[in-house]
Amino acid sequence: MSQEIINADVKGAKSNTIKCLNISEKKVGLFVTCLVNTMRPSVGFASLKLLEEAGCTVEVPEQQSCCGQPAFNSGDDEGTRQIAYQTIKQFENFDYVVVPSGSCAAMIKKNFIEVFKDQPEWLARAQHLADITHELLSFLVDVCEFESSGIELEGSYTYHDSCSGYRALHVYEQPRKMLANVKGLEHNPLNGHSECCGFGGTFCVKYSDISNEIVAEKAENILATEADYLLGGDMGCLMNMAGKLNREGHKEIKALHTAEVLAGLAPQILGDENASK
Amino acid sequence: MQANKPENFYQNVKDALAQPDLKMIIRRTTDKAEAKRAEAIANFPGFENARKQGQKVKDHTIKYMDHYLAEFEKNALAQGTIIHWASTAEEASKIVLDICRQHEAKKVTRSKSMLGEEIGLSHALDNSGIERVETDLAEHIIQLAGDPPSHIVWPAMHRSREDVIKLFREYHKDPTYSEEIIDLVRSARRDLRTKFLTADIGISGSNFLLADSGSSCTVTNEGNAELTITPPKVHIVTAGIEKLVPSMAHAVPLLRLLTRSATGGEITQYITFHNGPKRQNDADGPEECHIVLVDNGRTKMLADGMEEMLRCIRCGACMNHCVVYKHIGGHAYGSVYPGPMGSVLTPHLNSLEVANKQTHACTLNGRCEEVCPVNIPLPKLLRSLRAQSWDKKYEPLTNRFVVKAFAALAKRPKLFQLVSSCGVIFMRLCSRQGWIKSMPLAGGWTRNRDLIEPESKTFMQQYKAMKKAKSDGA
Amino acid sequence: MNKQRNEISRERIFDAIRAAAPTVTADVKAIQNEALEILGESEFARPALLAEDAAEALTLRIEAGLVIGTSCEKIASLDQLPDSVNQFLAKYALPAELKVQEIERLKALNWDGITTEVDIKNDNTVGLCWAEYGIAETGTFVVHSGPDMPILLNFLPLYLLAVIPKSKILPYMDDYALIAGEIAQRGETPRNMCLISGVSGTTDIEGVLIQGAHGPEVLHIIIVEDQ
Repeated sequence: MSQEIINADVKGAKSNTIKCLNISEKKVGLFVTCLVNTMRPSVGFASLKLLEEAGCTVEVPEQQSCCGQPAFNSGDDEGTRQIAYQTIKQFENFDYVVVPSGSCAAMIKKNFIEVFKDQPEWLARAQHLADITHELLSFLVDVCEFESSGIELEGSYTYHDSCSGYRALHVYEQPRKMLANVKGLEHNPLNGHSECCGFGGTFCVKYSDISNEIVAEKAENILATEADYLLGGDMGCLMNMAGKLNREGHKEIKALHTAEVLAGLAPQILGDENASK
Repeated sequence: MQANKPENFYQNVKDALAQPDLKMIIRRTTDKAEAKRAEAIANFPGFENARKQGQKVKDHTIKYMDHYLAEFEKNALAQGTIIHWASTAEEASKIVLDICRQHEAKKVTRSKSMLGEEIGLSHALDNSGIERVETDLAEHIIQLAGDPPSHIVWPAMHRSREDVIKLFREYHKDPTYSEEIIDLVRSARRDLRTKFLTADIGISGSNFLLADSGSSCTVTNEGNAELTITPPKVHIVTAGIEKLVPSMAHAVPLLRLLTRSATGGEITQYITFHNGPKRQNDADGPEECHIVLVDNGRTKMLADGMEEMLRCIRCGACMNHCVVYKHIGGHAYGSVYPGPMGSVLTPHLNSLEVANKQTHACTLNGRCEEVCPVNIPLPKLLRSLRAQSWDKKYEPLTNRFVVKAFAALAKRPKLFQLVSSCGVIFMRLCSRQGWIKSMPLAGGWTRNRDLIEPESKTFMQQYKAMKKAKSDGA
Repeated sequence: MNKQRNEISRERIFDAIRAAAPTVTADVKAIQNEALEILGESEFARPALLAEDAAEALTLRIEAGLVIGTSCEKIASLDQLPDSVNQFLAKYALPAELKVQEIERLKALNWDGITTEVDIKNDNTVGLCWAEYGIAETGTFVVHSGPDMPILLNFLPLYLLAVIPKSKILPYMDDYALIAGEIAQRGETPRNMCLISGVSGTTDIEGVLIQGAHGPEVLHIIIVEDQ
């Protein structure tokens, strides 16, 4: 997708109706995440659009990188700290920090404090950041009490609950509730909706063959729903499942981040994908 | 079947994935266990409270472990039980063997005990020339087949009915020629009955040790523990020191959790508390009772901040719900304890150096913790073992290099953004029709799946351009 | 020498625990109180019974098929037991012989026409025993080993009848554990306390449930009202 489409869209898109509390004086920092930054910028712009529609004043600090999961999950606590120092510095002065990924949000909310156990000052700062950080969909629904309307997408979707969002942050109702307001979109529930897709960050390359067996099974379940769209809240899982479906030749189902659908960007993204064929 | 070694984990996984029907075999058991557990918990609204209570019982006992161990010892001695202490697996095995030799035992019956497997008792008995009779039906099957266990609750789940038919025809004195499962079970019943009644020593494990009475408790559905223990003259219990609870009343919540989590039943058919040797005029029962209390890495877990793992009641729910276990099965782990709980335990029973690869064979998806009846934070413990093996440099050098390089970049956001935008250019060069089929350095990913083509510019590049356009416009 | 090794290992284990867990307290009373407090939670952490009355709840549980391989009936008084036994034997087309536990109140019954002595080491036999307690929560009968209670009587026969006095049926496992605690306090703990909730079963071959793995295949519980 080109930059122009996104810009045009953000400026001129049909707006969701704002039905939320007075949040406009609160400053929200968007933590984009590295997968969204490199692989799927449209998720970042969709998040930006949704947050602004919800009445937030959003800022995207340019000095941001990764949440540190690859280091943390590999057991490199020192590397994790090095990454966390600058994330904390960049984001601790916002009223809220919002992340369009369950696993990156959970990393900041749950795991930063694990690596600062012996550093009281940083532990306190990490705890503060944990307190103000939210996964995108739960922030929109639980904190902003935002209800989208006026978005249309014809077809059916199935939803994969990413493990970190689902288990660590209890994100479950929020995306379903918001997607229920998308006109023309039906939900085909996924068998094993909360079972791991086999991504697991570094796991999927370290144990590529086990991961493959897991995602192959997930792909079967997805195809059985006969849905047009596979939606989720984590780019890692979505890339894993979409990549497997494409490798197996299943082009009939499109993977999208929930935010992309809710922001009304799906038609452009799909149109663009179709155009590139 | 030869037991796999934990240090050969990569090869074990490869072998497991190459077995065509392994997945079906595993699923036959785990899917049923998963469904039945879910049903049992849906029928028990107090389950969450029971879990909290069960966790508290274990945490309390672990916190005052020395107090309760001393209590247990005192009360067991008062019952007439002989108490033995073993720091290591070898020591524990040797103690049992010495007792067997003292009594000139020719035949011993055993009821299923994972601790017995852990301390290598089967091998020790076999090597000493004593006839060992496994009496749990699954253990009986794998004994005949010469297999290691593949699950802590269903150790023979990897063996099909056809395998059992062959084994029973070959080894049973009066075998069945029927292929019906009931007839196979009857065949084993006939074969084992005389052995129960003629054994010199019965060896069991223990699900709980009650500090206030010095009792050990066995939990089975087959009733083989009582049949193992009652007829012979001598009863030997081998138990890990973490099996302690303050009293029978404290074992009750754990019993409620154990069966529901293991098989989805509400209670096992047989729960028996054993309190020392037979009383003077008792109608039956052993004349001598020994309890071997085994450490074998448990106090090390306490010292290493892994005390939460000592809560484990060996229900197997974590493996039944583990996406990795469900694809590679129990044997691949190369340990008596497979799956998530095994990946935490094995490094302590064996060593982290040989068993660190298993700690990485986990997506940290949290399902095991979600179903654990005593709330063991298995992903957190696995992650902390990864941190230990990182510090000890057990990681392969290439992994270390990649992670370190990534961390070095990620702590410098400007450089990170620059490299990200270069990465996008590189990826787009490798891409055809919106997808990357293969790419240098990405073989782990593209061996099994495609990679989406990124947009032409990173988010940050686009965002900056947008902001600039806005301010220029203004 | 073994004794010495035992002492060394014992010391080593205790030292390791004490080194690892610095919260150790010498105040035994405090530990006991803490342990008691945990038990207070049981009320909210156990399943609901099928009826308020414990005997009724036990019966309903068995009748609902929740206790593997088990049936039950109530009799008003112990004299009716031989009749019940006869009906049971007839139902399974068994010969009129069984092993009756050797206690006075069972031996004193009129067993006319039924042999009450068989060798239970042979398979396919019937056993009859007197339970100390029943537990409604789990559909359990409890036996204690003793001079007139051979534990094997509950495990060797293929068919087992257990008599539970109605007044001894407890609502929950916790209630039995309290009684066991009192017995322990008095120093009268029997060698074995068996909680039996159904028949000997296995699912070890392809997950199929088979009854009568090593012990009983059929269990019949008889609740006696006047005991």
